Amino acid sequence: MEQATSEAYPYVIEMLHITKEFPGIKANDDITLQLRRGEIHALLGENGAGKSTLMSVLFGLYQPEQGEIRKDGKVVQIKDPNDATALNIGMVHQHFKLVEVFTVLDNIILGAEDTKLGFIQKKEARKKVKALSEKYGLSIDMDAKVEDITVGMQQRVEILKMLYRDNDILIFDEPTAVLTPQEIEELMQIMRNLKAEGKSILFISHKLNEIMAVADRVTVLRKGKYVGTVDTANTNKEELSRMMVGRPVQLVVEKDEAKPKETVLKVEGLTVPSKLHKNDAVKNVSLEVRAGEIVCIAGIDGNGQTEFVHALTGLEKASAGKITLCGKDITKASIRKRSLTGMSHIPEDRHKHGMVLDFTLEQNLVLQRYYEPQFQNHGFIKFGAVRQYADKLIEEFDVRSGQGPITKARSMSGGNQQKAIVAREFDRNLPLIVAVQPTRGLDVGAIEYIHSQLVKQRDEGKAVLLVSLELEEVMNLSDRILVMYEGEIVGELDPKTTTAQELGLYMAGAKRQDKEVKAE
Amino acid sequence: MKLNRFLNKDGTRSVFATLISILIGLLAGAVIILIVGLVDQKLGLNEAWKGIRLLFLGLFSKGQQAGRLLFGFNSTNIGDMLFRAVPIIMTGLSVSLAYKTGLFNIGASGQFLAGTTASLFIALKMNTAVVAPWIVWIIAFLGGILAGAFWGAIPGILKAFLNINEVLACIMTNWLAANIVTWIFEGSGLQCTEGTKTQVIWKTTHNGVATAKMGLDKLFPESQQVDGGIIIVIVIAVLVYILLTKTTLGFELKACGSNRHAARYAGIKDKRSIVLSMAIAGALAGAGASLYWLSGSTEFHWQTYLSLPGEGFTGIAVALLGACNPIANIFTGMFLSTLDVVGSKLSFYTGYNEYITDVIIAVIVYLSAFSLLIKTWLSKKFKAAEIKKIPDVVITSHGPEMAKTPPVPANTGKEGNE
Repeated sequence: MEQATSEAYPYVIEMLHITKEFPGIKANDDITLQLRRGEIHALLGENGAGKSTLMSVLFGLYQPEQGEIRKDGKVVQIKDPNDATALNIGMVHQHFKLVEVFTVLDNIILGAEDTKLGFIQKKEARKKVKALSEKYGLSIDMDAKVEDITVGMQQRVEILKMLYRDNDILIFDEPTAVLTPQEIEELMQIMRNLKAEGKSILFISHKLNEIMAVADRVTVLRKGKYVGTVDTANTNKEELSRMMVGRPVQLVVEKDEAKPKETVLKVEGLTVPSKLHKNDAVKNVSLEVRAGEIVCIAGIDGNGQTEFVHALTGLEKASAGKITLCGKDITKASIRKRSLTGMSHIPEDRHKHGMVLDFTLEQNLVLQRYYEPQFQNHGFIKFGAVRQYADKLIEEFDVRSGQGPITKARSMSGGNQQKAIVAREFDRNLPLIVAVQPTRGLDVGAIEYIHSQLVKQRDEGKAVLLVSLELEEVMNLSDRILVMYEGEIVGELDPKTTTAQELGLYMAGAKRQDKEVKAE
Repeated sequence: MKLNRFLNKDGTRSVFATLISILIGLLAGAVIILIVGLVDQKLGLNEAWKGIRLLFLGLFSKGQQAGRLLFGFNSTNIGDMLFRAVPIIMTGLSVSLAYKTGLFNIGASGQFLAGTTASLFIALKMNTAVVAPWIVWIIAFLGGILAGAFWGAIPGILKAFLNINEVLACIMTNWLAANIVTWIFEGSGLQCTEGTKTQVIWKTTHNGVATAKMGLDKLFPESQQVDGGIIIVIVIAVLVYILLTKTTLGFELKACGSNRHAARYAGIKDKRSIVLSMAIAGALAGAGASLYWLSGSTEFHWQTYLSLPGEGFTGIAVALLGACNPIANIFTGMFLSTLDVVGSKLSFYTGYNEYITDVIIAVIVYLSAFSLLIKTWLSKKFKAAEIKKIPDVVITSHGPEMAKTPPVPANTGKEGNE
């Protein structure tokens, strides 16, 4: 081993031939990752490819069976997260680790407080945080409570936490999953600033656009194995997605012209009170979805989409308005009644609403139909029929899991959980599909699959109401776009004639059509 | 192969974990007995040895002769053990059912008292000269169940509609029950007037009502207490097991307990499920009370200074020790009632105080909380052998995909020397 001085040695962190096994699966199989000083290095892979495991190894949360980790060319032992911190490695987790009721400043210094005679020296800390935030362009409000600030600012707080601790190896775990398009752009700029100041960044993601925009090099993993490392300058999205998925991927959805038929869903003047403030979250919204078309509600998160869908599906009560499904008034109907009338629902939050995580996969697959005669007899569950049905869906929708139908849903990867939900909802074969962010947090392979399935459902004559925050998804998939802003539909656009920029203006509330889609 | 699959089953591990906690608890008890024996001048090593043997074999104790303990089949002990198991298995089932459906029923004591009151009132107040005693028994049993269900439903309603934590609500309903029961029995005219006893309610046999023996008196002829109650309890335990694992109702209750939001999303009435879970749990505790008092072989002793019946809390131990499995609860309930018998033997034949068994029960209950840890440890032990085999299976199931994985580019190794 050459004794390189730390400045001359090109790699700050090297993970060489890492192998980590779990019962039933090799999560990392001989993986090598080398992070150069001052580069942005993306770690790309589908859900379950082993990215998180590899990072957990780097953080000392898991001990690898084989392989070694080097810092500046010297072999280091990382037994727990404290060792990682001592090596100046910091991480922004996908789900932020912040104390909600503390102020931003308190959160930043938490765990690294300077004290004098047992008193925290906040003045010094404030100065240092201010200097850091100015240097890297991380605008924050130090005295605001974390629960009151936006997700984007929370992320900047997490970044400042790392900088405050003088970390120079920064890991971003899927940092854009929770951000709006504007915030993503901001984050990219922050990452470039950090790089300019000599920080080395590991950027875990499966979003190709972002990787191409910001990363210098990309290491690709697939199913726990190392696929390769490439310079972003010498590659393109198609090649990366092929490396990640193992086959060429259709990045743009192929679909024919929609042939809308009869109206399936009719919403008239729906108004939903907000739980957070006195105003209504959804104000007098009217819309129609016909069989054989995909209607998309676009908008920035928090503009009433969630409340609208909850009122539509019965999870929340509407204060006014009328909902007609397949000609039947379901305004006051129970959730089960709506479902039986012909509504399937891919919920926004798959862990809160979509699945019972402690149940097995097969139990989750029959969650919406366990009461049907095919699965029960006088109140007794027909286990054979359930198993058969689950096996069929698993096969048809390629849901992967450790132990098949008896896998605990909790232990499945996010992508496969989502596939299971999609399988369950599509297979019910109901006239209306309400799909809320059906591809959230999924990788290209899974997104491609779910998009093609949605189009297939449309072509089979289903009415699809899609709620999405992703501009690309909205433009690609929908036949009609309704833009929601502050609880109102502010415009109806045709994806063939509109542009992403125009759509963005509507979403941001800068533009609106006066011709409101009025009932009556 | 078959053995391996058996050992790898979740249930098998739970059973082992429970057995290990019990064993450690008994060993700890033995150590305590030994230490107390050595420290206390009156006891000594000889008494300690007797105590330890009784601790493990107390159920088969046949008395002593010239200072030597005799062991063998003792139908009194076993019969009494079965009888005392009745109420705690039922409260154990109550806690288990609630737990499996995501609720912590600490209110079994109150539900037990509600069941007690209802069934004793019905059994003693109905005129058995007019209505046949067995019909009175059935009405009293059902009354106890309904009273328990009602008392259990209160915290359920509070939880479902007002989102009040069921533990707090249960503690309140427990003390409400204790007060109300005292008040009701004070003026009931049901006090036993025999002998010098005070604050004691007549046994139901006073009115000619008693649980049928169902042949168990033939099996355990010397036991005064044993009756068909234990058979009814076993049937109920099996029914609870079936309810939880085989029925759509159990599916709904468990779904709701595990993730109320997802259950609601799937069209399950979440509020109804919560109330129903607590009501069934209460009904089970109430049924336990009915079976215990309707046996006619014990008398209810209420105290004007308030106290809660221990059965409710022992039920928590029974449930936890049995990993909240209804079938396992039958055995853990019998085990704890065995310790009860052992306690009386200890104080009878040795200088030890019977409360030493309470210490042992406490140790075991603490350990049963650890049984999850023990279970994880067992899983690791067994999984070690598994790892080597299963990756192949995974690879074959995605066979073609895996095979296509390109080899690691050769440049990765060299890059470090650039």
